[in-house]
Amino acid sequence: MQLLVEFENKSLSCLNSVDGIILPLIDYSVESVCFFSLDEIINIKNNNKIKVFVKINKNLFNSDIDEVKDILIKLDNINIDGIFFYDLAILQLKSELKLNVDLIWSQTHMVNNYKTCDYYYDMGVKYALLGKEITLDEVSEIIQKSKIISMVEVVSKPSVAFSYRKLLTNYFNDINEEPINNIKVKEKVTDSFYDIIEDDNGTCFYLDSITNGTSVIKNLYEMGCQFIIFREYGIPNFDSLVVDTMKYISSGCSSKNYVTKYKKMGDSTNFFFKRTIYKVK
Amino acid sequence: MRKIELLSPAGDLERLKVTLLYGADAVYIGGEKYSLRANANNFSLDEIREGCLFAHKLGKKVHLTLNIVFHNEDMSGVFQYIDDVVDCGIDAFIVSDPFLISYIKKKYTNCEVHLSTQNSTTNYKSIQFFEKQGIDRVVLARELSRDEIGEIINKVDTDIEVFIHGAMCTCFSGRCALSNYVTGRDANRGGCSQVCRFSFEYGNKKDFTFATKDMNMALYIRDLIEMGVRSLKVEGRMRSLYYLATVIGTYRNIIDDYYSHSLTNDKMKVYQSRLDRVANRETSTHFFTKKADYKDQYYTGRSEVSNQDYLGQVISYDRDNKLIKFYERNYFEVGDLIELFTPFGDHVEFVCEELFNEDMVSIDVARHPDSIYFIKLDTNVSICEYSMLRLIKKNNESR
Repeated sequence: MQLLVEFENKSLSCLNSVDGIILPLIDYSVESVCFFSLDEIINIKNNNKIKVFVKINKNLFNSDIDEVKDILIKLDNINIDGIFFYDLAILQLKSELKLNVDLIWSQTHMVNNYKTCDYYYDMGVKYALLGKEITLDEVSEIIQKSKIISMVEVVSKPSVAFSYRKLLTNYFNDINEEPINNIKVKEKVTDSFYDIIEDDNGTCFYLDSITNGTSVIKNLYEMGCQFIIFREYGIPNFDSLVVDTMKYISSGCSSKNYVTKYKKMGDSTNFFFKRTIYKVK
Repeated sequence: MRKIELLSPAGDLERLKVTLLYGADAVYIGGEKYSLRANANNFSLDEIREGCLFAHKLGKKVHLTLNIVFHNEDMSGVFQYIDDVVDCGIDAFIVSDPFLISYIKKKYTNCEVHLSTQNSTTNYKSIQFFEKQGIDRVVLARELSRDEIGEIINKVDTDIEVFIHGAMCTCFSGRCALSNYVTGRDANRGGCSQVCRFSFEYGNKKDFTFATKDMNMALYIRDLIEMGVRSLKVEGRMRSLYYLATVIGTYRNIIDDYYSHSLTNDKMKVYQSRLDRVANRETSTHFFTKKADYKDQYYTGRSEVSNQDYLGQVISYDRDNKLIKFYERNYFEVGDLIELFTPFGDHVEFVCEELFNEDMVSIDVARHPDSIYFIKLDTNVSICEYSMLRLIKKNNESR
């Protein structure tokens, strides 16, 4: 099992402690808080031995296509380790341009069953970043039954929705105040908090609560999950967590101290042990 | 020129029949499984079969939504379900999962597959991917401008469908799990609790809200036809019969007037006014002519308008005695100015001069919803079941 990390800022503090990193490409990725230019990505890839994955996960528009084509060719040329994609245009372009670069099917809330994972595998997609709203049992079934290599987000403040609209600009316009691009709000009935962040591509909602999946890493390890993902945004003492996790994995997830130590991050395991409902009658 | 399709929602068999009678060329429905409105009435297999027979007799079509985001457990029954609904006679599936698109296209060459808006398709290149999988039609994302839609149509061979009317998601369709996190209800499996219409506390400032206005593209139907859009879709499987009859009937008028070169500005004012009267929220064209901004948001809380214009649904017309028999829906009185409208597109304005209860006793007020009443109207217009009565003006109001 390998640990991939998406950082909160460009200091990339524990870069050499991890198996790989995920770099969101500026202007073409969303649901992230720290973005990298193509030149920065190329520089990081060329100067480090770790795996470097790139995130190009916005909904692409017609006007994006030509530039994305050029970007894909450049990333292919430097043998980038994989591209997280949302828009199927990326898959089409990989086919048209006959690129070798590996792709990660990364459609946020849609990667939920093994049949569709296999469909994408047959289309030439090597990896799938599984949805965050499925249970650990569902994750296990996908890993067991699909040919695709699964990745599972284990520690993060999860992104839960994305809008093309400038929802903060709009809100502050309505109340006649100067817009700010990052606010925290409370849902009144559940008393749950959400971070809302706006950038040029739109507005992202994050749950202001850490999904602490450190206790399920062992389960994932035992079911044969090959990649887990940590996202730094909102996670305290991230470097220590990363270093300890790498040790934990290399020990075969045998240390009980690790799980005990990181209970302090909270007891939310998101949907790993909680099923959503969809019929209320 | 192939005439553009008007595609109506239908939450049950009665809505299917009414919207087809009012001029929809096709309806889209949800079955009891795998539809994104898990809590609507939805159609049993027998109802799907009956709906398809009804539609096909009129030369019209039925599309079935199969557009949830599938989990492992959903996959076990879906293949049998697809067989069953094809056997019922449906003409097209609306699907978001590419595995199922490929499966259906291989097995049923005569059944169309349409890519759901749940995929939020925003560019021509991703459509080219789906063309290779055999997709027959793509329902575009609602975030696109006129120019972007036009460019897509010019660069792909697949039919393009766009939403023209109804409620909007605030986020990209399929890219929102707020309902999952806030209420535990799975947005992408049919349980969406519409959290984008909730209000959130933001310190001591006005509550943060982010609902959008509804969509109304009536003024741009001409453009959409001339751009080469194949189908115009109305949102609202759970809307009332009256709403659907009004909206579908009005868009039928606009489309037919366009093709007969009789769509004037004066007519458009009338059509727009009819659509406005059934709207319970403000409307906008969102991204079609500009990037949507705060004017396209709905910042007035949940004070949505309860529409009381709908007075009655016609059961029959006794031409000899000039009496319309109808189910009352909202209170009205002798002296009120009323409009009768029919599935044939006729509209008759008249003052209610004589009103009778079910026992044919003359009365001044119809005050009991769902009760049967009679109203006097002398007209040559053809009046059938599912014709409707709406209020134009109360007796004591200026127009």
